[in-house]
Amino acid sequence: MTGGTTGGAGMTGGTTGGAGMTDGTTGGAGMTGGTTGGASGGGTGWHVPEEDLRAYARGGLTAPALWSADTHLAACAHCRGVLADVGDPVALDAGWERLDAELDAPRPGFLEALLLRCGMADHTARLLAATPALRRSWVGAVAAVLLLTVAVTAGHTAGGSPTLFLALAPLLPLAGVALSYGPALDPTYEMAVVAPVHGFRLLMIRTVAVLAVGIGFNGLATLALPGYGLRALGWLLPALALTATGLALAARLGPVLGPSLVGVGWIALLVTAEAARTGAEDPLAPFTAAGQGVSALVAVLAAGLLVLLRDRFDSGRANTA
Amino acid sequence: MTCTVSASGLSLHYGGTRALDDVSLRLSAGVTGLLGPNGAGKTTLLRVLATAVPADRGSFTVLGHDPGTSHGRREVRRRLGYLPQTPGFHPDFTAFEFVDYVAILKELTDRAARHREVRRVLDEVGLTEVRGKHIRMLSGGMRQRVALAAALVGDPAFLVLDEPTVGLDPEQRMRFRELIAHAGEGRTVLLSTHQTEDVAMLCHRVVVLAGGTVRFDGTPAELTARAAGRVWSSTERDPGAKAGWRTGLGTFRNVGDPPAGADLLEPTLEDGYLLTLDGTDAEVAA
Repeated sequence: MTGGTTGGAGMTGGTTGGAGMTDGTTGGAGMTGGTTGGASGGGTGWHVPEEDLRAYARGGLTAPALWSADTHLAACAHCRGVLADVGDPVALDAGWERLDAELDAPRPGFLEALLLRCGMADHTARLLAATPALRRSWVGAVAAVLLLTVAVTAGHTAGGSPTLFLALAPLLPLAGVALSYGPALDPTYEMAVVAPVHGFRLLMIRTVAVLAVGIGFNGLATLALPGYGLRALGWLLPALALTATGLALAARLGPVLGPSLVGVGWIALLVTAEAARTGAEDPLAPFTAAGQGVSALVAVLAAGLLVLLRDRFDSGRANTA
Repeated sequence: MTCTVSASGLSLHYGGTRALDDVSLRLSAGVTGLLGPNGAGKTTLLRVLATAVPADRGSFTVLGHDPGTSHGRREVRRRLGYLPQTPGFHPDFTAFEFVDYVAILKELTDRAARHREVRRVLDEVGLTEVRGKHIRMLSGGMRQRVALAAALVGDPAFLVLDEPTVGLDPEQRMRFRELIAHAGEGRTVLLSTHQTEDVAMLCHRVVVLAGGTVRFDGTPAELTARAAGRVWSSTERDPGAKAGWRTGLGTFRNVGDPPAGADLLEPTLEDGYLLTLDGTDAEVAA
């Protein structure tokens, strides 16, 4: 059904059309254009056109027509007979094997389906679906914390500063990334670490995904604080700096101690900045222009260090540190 | 016989604890049993050979590849199947999805070929019928078989199994032994176990590890032969025995140096194993 001319379009909703057609409720008339099923089906029942069956046997049929043919062939002995006549037995066996595999393949969960819909390769989507920090419980907890923080911060506007939000927001991506790997948090860590997929690559795939979700949440929270303008975006560079530093330290100190030290260091820095603040309305040092510059520099340096230490994530040393 | 794994002088310390001390061994095709009491270093040795953790000292190769280098490590991992002592599962995954996930970690990125391989290994461990079930719904024995299926993905030449029969009931254990025996055909399997029965039924060779060192390396028959003339029966526990326990007959079975005129018994693999350990280890194992 090249380009879906056989009714891929007519089979509205597409993928399950084949099954519906077997009972003849749609029929050939619904298959707009050319190679309709009526010609080969006879009666009121629709059948896969012979031309499509030839393409199917050659392996040349494309989706969505391919899905319709797969589904219909599973239920229609007549079309299977026609296919056996027109097809090369070897190609036919391959077709059955493919059909069998498709029927056997698991249905992806919500997150995985979303990633596939965004165009991600299925193997990468499965790797991300197994990331602990992308699980509903964690994402829900992050959203709840942010909502609470935004509510508290919004209640103290009137010319104030969104300090609580800015202090907390960088810690969430750091915690998410720290929770996305390691023997204590990833139940399949032991199997993953001895797999040929490079440990650093796996870590980066998960980090980018968790960072994207964390920054996305923080971004939405920022939009909920329009009264602070660009000041409410002061969390972004510290978030990148803390995450990169946490990972770099994790390579030497392990996945729990490294990020934990960074988190404690961030809080200590804020407490010190609060003590050193001169005016009540002034932003804390990390959220000034100079502070943001330092965050950017730290992020770059830590990312460089992380790349230098990447082999430790593959050799098991990051685990034993 | 071609040597698949060759290890020399492996040592590893955790803090002040000596987990492995100068361990050398060579493994070839077939099932090799790794026996030892708790804390003997069995899991540590398996984790080192599986490249999960590097040794402090010493080296080893798998099919000629040295995991000490980044390239060699990847080549070893491509030839490795590993079933950890407590395999973790993502609770939301089905058996198929979990094995599929491990297959992706093993670089099988082509979807059709990968799914074919997943179905093959699930069939091999007899889980085809429950492949769509969530792992949390499966029994302990079935979960172990899921983990074994994951280890078998990619038809590895070297299979490392860490106490796979622990926690299984006798029927499940027998089923699992059949699977291990089948998996051992044509590949090298290192099986860590507490159960001398596992070794007696499955292994062509046995290594006894205690205190992080190799105490014995030979055939099960040779290990059994160590106890020839050193197992005897008595009505009371013999204080001179290295280990002794009451049998179902009400008499005591003792292993060690028998007194003159002792009622000697036919030795078993377990007797040979206990005698291979020193006094302290034997107390633990007994």
